[in-house]
Amino acid sequence: MELDCRGMRCPIPIIKLAHALKTEAIVRLLSDDPATLPDITAWARMTGNSFTRINNETFDVKREN
Amino acid sequence: MGSVTTFQSEAPLHPAAAEFLGDAFARGWADPSKIHQESRKVALLLNEAKEVYCQHLALRHEQINFLGEPSLGFHLGISGLITNDSTLYHSAVDRSEVFAVASAIRSEVLPVDITGQYSVPTGTQSDLITYQSINGETGIPGVVPNNFAGKVFIEASPLISLPQKWSSALWDARSWNGPEGLGILGIADKGWVNPLPHNDSRVTPGSFSTPLAIAGAIALENYVSDFNAHESKIRALNAKIRNFLLTQIDDVDIAGDLETALPHLLSFSLLYVDAQLLVDELDKSGYAVDSGSACNSLNMQPSHVLAAMGLLTHGNVRMSLRADHSEMEIDKFLSTLKDLVLKIRH
Repeated sequence: MELDCRGMRCPIPIIKLAHALKTEAIVRLLSDDPATLPDITAWARMTGNSFTRINNETFDVKREN
Repeated sequence: MGSVTTFQSEAPLHPAAAEFLGDAFARGWADPSKIHQESRKVALLLNEAKEVYCQHLALRHEQINFLGEPSLGFHLGISGLITNDSTLYHSAVDRSEVFAVASAIRSEVLPVDITGQYSVPTGTQSDLITYQSINGETGIPGVVPNNFAGKVFIEASPLISLPQKWSSALWDARSWNGPEGLGILGIADKGWVNPLPHNDSRVTPGSFSTPLAIAGAIALENYVSDFNAHESKIRALNAKIRNFLLTQIDDVDIAGDLETALPHLLSFSLLYVDAQLLVDELDKSGYAVDSGSACNSLNMQPSHVLAAMGLLTHGNVRMSLRADHSEMEIDKFLSTLKDLVLKIRH
């Protein structure tokens, strides 16, 4: 699924992402918040999930557990 | 309104320094370079203050330069050592003032790992590296550039000894609860040249307040002895908070560990928590804390220190611990924090 969080500030994109991954195994996150790149990196480390950065505003996130 | 427990970095001026300043401003102030009796007294006090700085900061008299604008010291200390052949190396967790100076010259950022460590390059004799003795957000010490071939600029702290080799070093009196508006730039390198428009290329601007320079020395003496006397207590408080965060609250990202970091600073981030909301709620409950999250910064950018280390930037709380914080205060704070985090995450 695609989760469009553009225009939203931290920590909302990460909260919405975590919520979406409860039912989805793969989520494409769109976010233009400058905190998203550092935060999605830290979030993946803390929760054991993984992501691929497609470009500055697009992240493909995969649930790993 | 009840009393406020503050864990913010801004500490009041040490009482002994405040008392001196009040007296100094009440009496008016004599020019230490003149020959009146009052002027001689001031010259003597300033000289005694320099002795204190020499002793506690491990400087020689002739290396001391007082600055009225501490952050100008980054430009003076770094750019004054740069030549056409120089590359400036600095870490990704250096202060934004270092980044600002670096943007005007040839420079390279050294990436840090999650513990704040980085590899020091070898460099050449004309290169310059920065060394931050303690990171002001996390309390993590920088990497001592022992094997660097070039010059070394230090963002220094009175709590960490200068390394054997250094070229220029900058202290801000606020770091020892001294007065605002006082920097000390130590210059050891004979090749240093004033990078500002100047009359004498060897001399710093020299515009500083004599009362502040003397009050800063009083504050420094007291700060160092207080820190040494209470370090173990502060370390125990820091350990208590870390232990609580790891065992009582889920998904907390703590910067560095207490084995290597200085104990009076602590930075942690709470996953899924809006820092602005948390800081506001803590404030209402009588606790003042700092935050490095984007929503709490003027430019809406997250802390570059947290981002560079790969730590969570939202939900960040920064605490400064002092000897006058009691264990009971910490217990109450932690219990309030836990309740608020549960409420915000719900």
